[in-house]
Amino acid sequence: MHLRGDIRIMNCKEAKALFSEFYDRELNQEICDAVKGHLAGCQECREEYKNFRKGLKILKKLRMLEAPRNYMEINQRH
Amino acid sequence: MKLLPKKEHQYIGTKMNFIELNLMENARRGDSHALNELFSQHQKYIFNLMLQLTGDAARADDLTEETFIMAFRKLHSFRCQVSFRIWLSRIAINLFRLECRRKPKHYSLCLEKIMVPSHEDNPERVVIKSELQWCILHNLQQHLPNKYREVLVLRDLHHLSYKEISEILEWNVSKTKTRLHRARQMFRQQFINNKCKAFADDYLCICEGILEL
Repeated sequence: MHLRGDIRIMNCKEAKALFSEFYDRELNQEICDAVKGHLAGCQECREEYKNFRKGLKILKKLRMLEAPRNYMEINQRH
Repeated sequence: MKLLPKKEHQYIGTKMNFIELNLMENARRGDSHALNELFSQHQKYIFNLMLQLTGDAARADDLTEETFIMAFRKLHSFRCQVSFRIWLSRIAINLFRLECRRKPKHYSLCLEKIMVPSHEDNPERVVIKSELQWCILHNLQQHLPNKYREVLVLRDLHHLSYKEISEILEWNVSKTKTRLHRARQMFRQQFINNKCKAFADDYLCICEGILEL
């Protein structure tokens, strides 16, 4: 990663390694802007990030089930 | 409900909120209502966590039961330095790891060997919906090593913060970030390799969201 003026420039490898933290909004503003800047100018990474997000959206389809019983009853017996 | 005891100094640096601390103190004194309230609000979470890690409802039920028995026995030694949920999660995950070491891994039939019906052949969306549920659990359980499955489930299914995950898995935050990134890539890759994507693709709309079934 290097500086061009006040803006950090990132290559594809660096940007891809940060997809996860970028998705979770865990990056500081400067690094976040650098990833955004890279995605704006790189179609391949933009496509890869789109697929990365799609993969995670699948997980949202998993339903949470109710617990099948009250486990407190066991403790009251112990 | 009784008030917080005078020996408050033992809770310095605690990550528990005031209500939870009160419940904890009363539960330790043998108040069964406090104990019930303290534990019952985490039952659904622990059961689902175990289900997503094992992919098996019976094993999840057993591990949840063992978690609550152990938590009950260790209640007096819990020092309240992490939240109650984090502490329960640690117990549950340690029990899960122990069980994995004791029992050989069971391999179920992989989707690569199953014909995925096309949308036209299978208009019953309800079938596909349950297949997709199975697909996700199958991929988590069969195609992700434990160290990646644990972090993925805690973050993407239970939405815990990086710090909370680090506390549960007893890793530093940097390791959590690295493992989570790898886990997400691996899950997506396996999902495509195992043709599960065929189920999901029908429900991906052009804005990349998944349509409600």
